[in-house]
Amino acid sequence: MHNSFIARNPSVLWFLAALGLFTFGVTLLSEATGIGLISTSFVKTLGKTLCLCLIAIAMDVVWGYCGILSLGHFAFFGIGGYAIGMWLMYARTETIVLSSLAGQTIPATPQEISDAIGNQIFGVVGSSEFPLIWAFSDSLVLQLAMVVLIPGLLALVFGWLAFRSRVTGVYLSILTQAMTLALSLYLFQNDSGLRGNNGLSGLQNIPGFEATPQATISIIFFLASAFALGAGYVFFAWVISGKMGSVVQGIRDNEARVRFLGYQVEGYKLFIFTITAIVSGIAGALYYPQAGIINPGEIAPIASIYLAVWVAIGGRGRLYGAVIGAAFVSLLSSWFTGGGAPDINLGFYTIQWTDWWLVLLGLSFVIVTLYFPKGIGGLFDYLVRKPS
Amino acid sequence: MIATLLEVSGVTVTFDGFRAINNLSIQFPPTGLRAIIGPNGAGKTTFMDIVTGKTKPDEGRVVWGEENISLLGLSESDIAMRGIGRKFQKPTVFEAQTVRQNLAMALKNPRGPFAVLTHRKTAENAAKIDAIAAEIGLTDSLTRIAGELSHGQKQWLEIGMLLAQDPRLLLVDEPAAGMTVEEREKTTDILRRAAKTRSVVVVEHDMEFVRRLDCKVTVLHEGAVLAEGSLDHVASNQTVIDVYLGRGHA
Ligand SMILES: Nc1ncnc2c1ncn2[C@@H]1O[C@H](COP(=O)(O)OP(=O)(O)OP(=O)(O)O)[C@@H](O)[C@H]1O
Ligand SMILES: [Mg+2]
Repeated sequence: MHNSFIARNPSVLWFLAALGLFTFGVTLLSEATGIGLISTSFVKTLGKTLCLCLIAIAMDVVWGYCGILSLGHFAFFGIGGYAIGMWLMYARTETIVLSSLAGQTIPATPQEISDAIGNQIFGVVGSSEFPLIWAFSDSLVLQLAMVVLIPGLLALVFGWLAFRSRVTGVYLSILTQAMTLALSLYLFQNDSGLRGNNGLSGLQNIPGFEATPQATISIIFFLASAFALGAGYVFFAWVISGKMGSVVQGIRDNEARVRFLGYQVEGYKLFIFTITAIVSGIAGALYYPQAGIINPGEIAPIASIYLAVWVAIGGRGRLYGAVIGAAFVSLLSSWFTGGGAPDINLGFYTIQWTDWWLVLLGLSFVIVTLYFPKGIGGLFDYLVRKPS
Repeated sequence: MIATLLEVSGVTVTFDGFRAINNLSIQFPPTGLRAIIGPNGAGKTTFMDIVTGKTKPDEGRVVWGEENISLLGLSESDIAMRGIGRKFQKPTVFEAQTVRQNLAMALKNPRGPFAVLTHRKTAENAAKIDAIAAEIGLTDSLTRIAGELSHGQKQWLEIGMLLAQDPRLLLVDEPAAGMTVEEREKTTDILRRAAKTRSVVVVEHDMEFVRRLDCKVTVLHEGAVLAEGSLDHVASNQTVIDVYLGRGHA
């Protein structure tokens, strides 16, 4: 059965081969495991890009295949990041506190240790108490479970309420934006229990690996991200192949018709919405240890809109299109906004790309939507002759 | 065997004060063909909307099957699963997918997400799809994208999807619209064969088509039954002539 799945979807093999080759190349060129042509910070950028590609294929499944234009999937990404960030911060602060208390003649009581850790983490928001949501932060296993459970449950509840009342189209998109906005506004509060606008930081320091250089840690996360992207790609390709794919695309093209065939459309939407939210959470959990910091700004509604733009530019309705869009646009974006692109002096005005990049992106989005609805991925149609 | 498969009684639907269906009562036996005719806006499509759960009536009863279950309040998918299939006035097939995928989706099988996710192709299903494709004359087009089919072929594909669902009641809204004469003949044959084992209700304007169906005819007008009986019987009814046939439909 697996053979036939691959046989029916040759693009999966091509994608895995390309990803494998890319991963291998980066490993050989990195500082830790290769000749050092690629800096550690660029390895991190590439690793983060792979995570963005992973959430992009999730977005493509929910939007490109199922027709739900969710403008809230970055919220799930952020939640995944916060969930892993809580453990990273707790465990690292604990190590620091324990070593600083180690010299004392009278051993510190567990309460004193806990207070000291709380003080370290929550001092910036004027508190030292551990909020309830940090209850499991000392356990890596439980926080990893949160990476999956919280986005999954939130998507399940939100989706159930929205789909059951048959909210569709632009209204659903607005609702998902509202969810994202509410979450980010909540996180901005100092008493949210997640350090308000400071967010969680120092996430690049992995507890237990203090002696390991960042060069090595970066390549490990890069490899983990590549693996997650490969696994996510195969998983989603499997979901949307076969009959599930038929029904899901049927829902996108004519929801009512699918209902009259006897399918419970709401259940399918909920399924797709929830699994894509979970994968987004996992992508976030891999992304933020590479970014080193997460703050509520990351969850701002605009992030989810960018996600839709990537997928549209890359070409929705094909998974590799989403990957291309996310990689291409996000790398280009950091090049432009990072001052990589030279300013253009027009004599009377100087185009500074840090300001004008968004205009360029917006224009590209409009042009792609109007004239190239298949996006960059559509170019592959010219390369591959359609099987007759 | 039961005498009545579907019984609609005293149903009224109002859209913004306009009575599209007005105290409509109509019954269908478990097998056989029935044609529903009537002028534009008579409420034919709305009647199908009510039976299939798309439109909720203000008043009346819609009762189904041996156990006399009320269909009112059931969801569209639930009603479909109980054995009512529907072809829309405007052909609606999944244009982005192949003919085979369209039929496979309609085929009577478990409909839950997990059953569908783990669904595997079986020889039995493949044989059913081949049989239906032969019935609707699309054997050579199974791997074609439905969007590329001609208008008539799309109509047949939609009828084929209905057959694949294996419903007990087929509601077919204007199956012959836009078809050539030969295509119409073929369509009548398909519907008559289907009606041997189930109830088939056909809405149609084309009188030649209705005549070839050779079945009991119900005339709808202003949301209620105006006349019922053989085509010759209703065609001789003066009111029917005045409101419908006289307008150049015959
Ligand atoms: N959703 C709706 N909202 C408002 N009015 C409606 C709605 N659906 C139908 N109507 C009106 O109800 C009446 C009956 O419409 P219906 O589509 O059932 O007619 P029909 O008999 O199928 O006509 P045709 O032969 O043109 O298909 C029409 O006057 C139509 O405009
Ligand atoms: Mg109609």
